[in-house]
Amino acid sequence: MKYGRVAPWIFLLPTIVGLGLFRVGPIIAAFLVSFTRWNVISAPRWLGLANYSELINSEVFWRVLKNTAVFSLTYVPGVMICGLFLAVLVNNKLRGITFFRGLYYLPVITSTVAIGVVWSWILSPRFGILTRFLHGLGVVNVPSFLGDSRYALLTLVVVYVWKMAGYHMILFLAGLQNIPAVYYEAAKIDGATPWQQLRYVTLPLLSTTTFFIMIIALIQSLQTFDLTFAMTEGGPNNASATLSFFTYVNAFVHFRMGYAASMSFVLFLIVGTLTLVNFWARKYWVSTLD
Amino acid sequence: MLKRVSMFLVVLLMLSFAAGAAGQEITLRYFMWDPTFADIERELIDEFEKQNPNIKVEMTAMDPSSYWPRISAMATAGELPDVFCMSTGYFEQWAQDGLLMNIQELVDRDLNVDDYFVEVFSENRYPDKQSGDMYAIPYAWVTPVLFYNKDMFDEAGLAYPDDNWTWDDFLAAAQKLTVRSGPRLPAERYGFFWYGRYAHIEPWVYANSGRILNEQKTRIQIDDRAREALQFLSDLTNVHQVSPPYKEIVGISQDNLFPLGQVAMWVDGSWNIENIRRTAGEDFRFGIARVPKGPSAVPGDTTTYFWPDAIAISATTPHKEAAWALVKFLVGEHRPIESYMAGKVPIHKGLAYSKEWLQEDRQPGNMQLILEQGEGVGRTTFTLGWSEWRGYAATGSSGMNGELDKVSNGEQTVDEAIKAITEYGNGVLSRYYPEE
Amino acid sequence: MQMPVTRKLMLYVLLCLLGLTTVFPFLWMVSTSFKTQTEVFSLRPNFIPRNLFTDKMWDNYQTILVRHKFLRYVQNSLFVATTAAFGQLVACSMAGFAFARMKFRGKEILFGMLLATLMIPVEVTIIPEYLIMLKLGWYNTYLPLIVPSMMVGSFGTFLFRSFFENIPSSLEDAAFIDGVNSWQMFFKVFLPNAKPAIASLFIIAFMNNWNDLLRPVIYLDSDHLWTATMGLMQFKGNYGTQWHLLLTGSVVSVIPLIAVYILMQRYFVEGMLSSGVKG
Repeated sequence: MKYGRVAPWIFLLPTIVGLGLFRVGPIIAAFLVSFTRWNVISAPRWLGLANYSELINSEVFWRVLKNTAVFSLTYVPGVMICGLFLAVLVNNKLRGITFFRGLYYLPVITSTVAIGVVWSWILSPRFGILTRFLHGLGVVNVPSFLGDSRYALLTLVVVYVWKMAGYHMILFLAGLQNIPAVYYEAAKIDGATPWQQLRYVTLPLLSTTTFFIMIIALIQSLQTFDLTFAMTEGGPNNASATLSFFTYVNAFVHFRMGYAASMSFVLFLIVGTLTLVNFWARKYWVSTLD
Repeated sequence: MLKRVSMFLVVLLMLSFAAGAAGQEITLRYFMWDPTFADIERELIDEFEKQNPNIKVEMTAMDPSSYWPRISAMATAGELPDVFCMSTGYFEQWAQDGLLMNIQELVDRDLNVDDYFVEVFSENRYPDKQSGDMYAIPYAWVTPVLFYNKDMFDEAGLAYPDDNWTWDDFLAAAQKLTVRSGPRLPAERYGFFWYGRYAHIEPWVYANSGRILNEQKTRIQIDDRAREALQFLSDLTNVHQVSPPYKEIVGISQDNLFPLGQVAMWVDGSWNIENIRRTAGEDFRFGIARVPKGPSAVPGDTTTYFWPDAIAISATTPHKEAAWALVKFLVGEHRPIESYMAGKVPIHKGLAYSKEWLQEDRQPGNMQLILEQGEGVGRTTFTLGWSEWRGYAATGSSGMNGELDKVSNGEQTVDEAIKAITEYGNGVLSRYYPEE
Repeated sequence: MQMPVTRKLMLYVLLCLLGLTTVFPFLWMVSTSFKTQTEVFSLRPNFIPRNLFTDKMWDNYQTILVRHKFLRYVQNSLFVATTAAFGQLVACSMAGFAFARMKFRGKEILFGMLLATLMIPVEVTIIPEYLIMLKLGWYNTYLPLIVPSMMVGSFGTFLFRSFFENIPSSLEDAAFIDGVNSWQMFFKVFLPNAKPAIASLFIIAFMNNWNDLLRPVIYLDSDHLWTATMGLMQFKGNYGTQWHLLLTGSVVSVIPLIAVYILMQRYFVEGMLSSGVKG
């Protein structure tokens, strides 16, 4: 007990009070609401498990859930690899490297509306420059990236990875900079190539950061409403609708708060389980500097 | 001691009476959903305040996607503004939940209905669209028209669309207007375009005297005439190829296709006149016409698709008369024409038929066509849960919208779409209209 | 150790190529901010706006900053986001430290609860949250946007926990031998070694707060309190969007975010580049 018994609670005081006052209450309320029919403007009506059974029987919900799974499974590795790549790249002591770091961060802070408009235009089958470029290369049947139900979801993933790579670059960079230089020096003395340095020094010592980033990326992949709305509105015919989009639409367009709450908790169960599994598996691949 | 206290109380009482008599100022809260017109609206409000010195109006303007979450949250807390905008999509639900004030007697008392497009009022009647009381009052309405590019018609040697056009005439024109450099390639210019959007589909259905819903508007019941209309549209894309498949036109905002000269004809709401003028500028001349009557149209059927934007009074406002005074002002003849986009019709006939609104000296020059449509019988597909089954706004890719988009992409037939729409739509509607 | 010139060159080429792919939407935004409404959408996209280098060039900026009070909204956002981000730094570093280094009952359960709050979307909790804020009398103030951030932050706590876990216990043990208490350990040993984490959290918390639209929409009534995101929504109407103004506003909105980023990079990250863990 190096810190004593009281210290943890003092350090955690704001968090505990904040959680209790502002977070736990609304979440419990939302949980209760998931058992009701509530259109926000009038009183909730108790429904028991009706929302959940509607979810289970809803073809649209399963489609959306599948989309969400595909999205997460492609987004998380994609953005992590891109983020790490960028971080390693900008970790070099070059003149003006801060400028490039800022440049890669730009998509993260550019408004989703603007990104939606620009990318939609670029990918548009009629005058999009990507389409014209591919035609020029001789590709005959350029797909409609956003209009074809086979590609819409993956196109969204690509745009989202492009947008958020800079965000993860920052996090990876912070992790990289926390690795003491002495380890690299020791490795170089042993004759390690840059590749070997990456494998035996960087990656292991980056593992706590990597774990953190993975969980964050997973959670991010569930917050896709803004981009989906800006680019495809979940189309065509729900092909690119993820649970985040579907929840928002049910909450604030259809005003079916109860239904929206129930799907949030189903999602929470799934993601919570995944996260738990990850935390349990953590001991197998995450090491600290100790 | 008691004497002092009572004297103090009397003075206090007198002072409060005095204050009450002198001030009597009422503050109304007004929420509207079009920030791009907020300053014009503010001028109108200033005029109202001048004419009603004891009423102050606090106006808030929020864009539609922020407006609804905000207004609904206020409703939850019982904090609704006194006067606020109400859409046709949500009207029935809000009226059903008792949040809107019944203004029928106020309308009867103070408004001369001959001054207004009374047919349009039907969308704000509850519970029955013909006989119910009014729970909101429109300030503007819109209707779909057929936009056509006059220059392209001239180039192809075609006569402009008129009231006698049949669907065959339309098809023939569209074929001549479609320009493509090789068979089976995307056309450089299409004669027409459509997708599942409500403003693209319903006008054709009604032009053929078809119905999408049953009589009571509680279930989907797409009749044969409606089916014929849907098949016609599907054939335009999949058989005659005068209209692009939906996936070919994504990435460009749909209301820019016509102004950018990508299509020769377009059916959508009359409010687009403003955008066409702005985006196309002087690039080409355009006109408007009625949506052509279909082969199965019942003779003499003037059913048109039109819908209003309305204003409602909160059922719990403590300032009923003041709120009504404001509402009357907002829908009446004082409203400046600039607060209406070109093509959006004022509910007040005097304003609508004025030179300033008709703008005969500007494109398209024949806006009274829109007004004539407003004198016909109105029909819409709005029901409780409309946004869910129709696929509107943020849900634009689902519901009926999504199923018809698939038809446009050649991914399913019209009959398969009808089956899917009916099943899905009735699932939604049975939640809101549980009987039968 | 000098880097060979060829390697430097290759790196610069790569950096520039990647930079091109990330910068073009931003360039389009900037270019559009100088266009008139009719110019925004056209068939042959023109990258050089017509009004560039004329006296009408800054029209859009003038319009939004003055007529639409956008400057005021940006100032408001600056205040709210800065306060919230600082609050996050305080609350999350403390909590992260406790989770990383201390032992106490219910540790993992509490941490789990924290993470769980990240997984429930805000749209289903906002109405109950709104009712709580109403009861507290915080409606139409900045308190709902700031106070929760000053007390609890799941992402930030998780971030600091990860960073603090990665600091070798040899440092900690040495400090204990020197007889420090918890606060001194926190301030003198751990925090100085977490500068990259501090910078990252500030950047991200600032950005998240800046971009929040739902909360300001629900809580802020008076228009002099509105934030930049609400200000941007002013250009969206019922039947059309004023793109030229919306994108001008987006450009203006990006500036504080870039500034925060660069500031944080300069003062926190650069210092760590070669030093590694401080003893």
